[in-house]
Amino acid sequence: MMHLLKKELSELLNKQMLLGLLVSFILIVMLGFVMTSTVSGTLEASGEVHIIDLDQTDFTQQIADKLEDKGYTVKSVTEEKAYELILDEQKWNDAAVLPAGMTELLLTQHEACEINSVTALKTTSTMSMAFADNSSADYVSKAVSELLSEKYLSGEMAFLEHPVTLTPYTVANGKTVQASSAALVSSLAMFDQLMPLVLFLLIVLTSQTIITAVAAEKTDKTLETLLSSPVPRSVIIGAKMLAALITAVIYAVVYGLGFLSSLLFNVDRTAENMDVASAFTNLIQTQDAIHALGLQISFLGWIGVIIQLLLTIGIALTASMILGGLVEDAKGSQTASLPILVCTMFPYILSMVSDIRGMGLTARILLYCIPFTHTFIAASCLRFHQTGLFLGGMIYQVIFVLAAVFAALKLYQSDLLFTHRFSRNSKKS
Amino acid sequence: MNPALDVRELAKSYGQKQAVNGVSFQIPAGQIFGLMGMNGAGKTTILRMLATLLKPDSGDALIDGNSIVKNPEKVRACISYLPDEAGAYRSMTGKNYLKFIAGLYFRDEAEQKDCAALGEEICGLGEALERKINTYSRGMTRKLVLARTVMTKPKLAILDEPTSGLDVLNSLDIRKTIRNCANEYGTAFLLSSHHMQEVSTTADRGAIMKDGVFLAEGTPQELLDMYQAKTLEEAFEKAVRSA
Repeated sequence: MMHLLKKELSELLNKQMLLGLLVSFILIVMLGFVMTSTVSGTLEASGEVHIIDLDQTDFTQQIADKLEDKGYTVKSVTEEKAYELILDEQKWNDAAVLPAGMTELLLTQHEACEINSVTALKTTSTMSMAFADNSSADYVSKAVSELLSEKYLSGEMAFLEHPVTLTPYTVANGKTVQASSAALVSSLAMFDQLMPLVLFLLIVLTSQTIITAVAAEKTDKTLETLLSSPVPRSVIIGAKMLAALITAVIYAVVYGLGFLSSLLFNVDRTAENMDVASAFTNLIQTQDAIHALGLQISFLGWIGVIIQLLLTIGIALTASMILGGLVEDAKGSQTASLPILVCTMFPYILSMVSDIRGMGLTARILLYCIPFTHTFIAASCLRFHQTGLFLGGMIYQVIFVLAAVFAALKLYQSDLLFTHRFSRNSKKS
Repeated sequence: MNPALDVRELAKSYGQKQAVNGVSFQIPAGQIFGLMGMNGAGKTTILRMLATLLKPDSGDALIDGNSIVKNPEKVRACISYLPDEAGAYRSMTGKNYLKFIAGLYFRDEAEQKDCAALGEEICGLGEALERKINTYSRGMTRKLVLARTVMTKPKLAILDEPTSGLDVLNSLDIRKTIRNCANEYGTAFLLSSHHMQEVSTTADRGAIMKDGVFLAEGTPQELLDMYQAKTLEEAFEKAVRSA
């Protein structure tokens, strides 16, 4: 095994690979900067504004009318309930809470009032959160400013500058905590978005590497030499896969470090803009909120995530061995890796821009059939207490990897490896 | 004494096409057997079945007493297979390639060293062995892979078109190496070839194949006599056209 492994590694870990790795590292660092700056600057408006109206006055009605005049669809409730219950019942992602006495404060006492901005945290995807977050409180705040300006156009009241202050609330796992969902997502995304990116790159790179390696061995007929040698075929396959796994881990570590360094650099820059005490307090508050909402992943959970990661790489490697074995020559290796690329790209992109777990039944079934999907959503499953989905995904991956290994062994012990070409082109027999 | 190779009614088909149809022959130790036939005659299929890469539909072959059907693992320990136009790992040096192949056949380091040293001697590439294989010419690569095939002193060496695409001098070197190894180590050789000259000068016995069956089998002289031909090429033409 060691003998073959050394040969496989010397084939894979060459100067070309190291150069590619260096270039990829630089690209990943750059990508990290672009992503973090894009995400932090992205908060787009959407068509709905949700209001929990606890004041129920003409003025709060005027706020709703104002928003509707601007083209928003305003949905409001007037009953006083726990925020998590209202958001759950109404299927809202956010809401602005107009407190009782708000009109009195603003119009009679001429004082600023506090509006609670409630956000339901359903995923840790920053892109998804950016699209899902309607920022109802922001729109309400603007509408209040405009209404008051119209009413007191000639006045010089100081409170008009900031008639409303927003207090962010986040709802998750059936709990509500006073914290900004954006801050929570930023904190969680450090890890939750790094892993899918690294996983995506790992699957694509390792599958391409192994398919090309097997195809090259077929073209050069070195595979026939190996398979007719006294070394057991399971050892030949095992050595090839282990070498690809080691290469993949090197890629993972380098990419992970590259992405982390860009994130840490960003954190440093943020910290430069505030004093150390404030930065520390913010960090503690965010961590407290994460714990209060039960969004943290336990040590055992992380072990599970790592197991899913390894299972996914195992599936990709074994599938690549099968596809590589069926490829006729090196030219066909590009096309052969396409199924793996597609099966990786779909769940990766969807997990970045949307919440896969909240999709329609058909879409979910289709996506859950792809074994890679479960790793992309693993962290989210654990954070939002969907342990059944997490464990089910892991069991599915175990079954899938065992079936793939069995199929690979069967293929490499069968005629198909060589007769595949005869079926289409019988130049030699 | 058992022959190095004893082929019994070997057959193989690919879908509707019968590639090999009940072929039987024997090769004693130290002898060279040449398979002659046109493209698609079934030569490579026979070689691949004996190399345990393909499973026969029926029939069997015993290599040093081991069945290719029942004991393919044991067979692999006593054969060496050189595919047509086989390459080697281009990023390795010639020396490292021979060491690597030796490592596949022997666990003991001393045995690996001796085996690789023999390979170096057989290929006769000298200092070029220190260079990477991607700098080798076709002839050099062929000498290297032939050396790795015979350096393990297999009971049976299976060579598919060993001189295909080589110039006259390189072809002559390869043929000499095969003859020497058969004489010196008692290795039995089964080679397929398009070159009748190669078979007539190198092989002790040969067979003319068409559509998966042997049309004729014997020593080069017996084949000439059988078809009343002056050259093996003429005998081959007569055999194939009359079949």
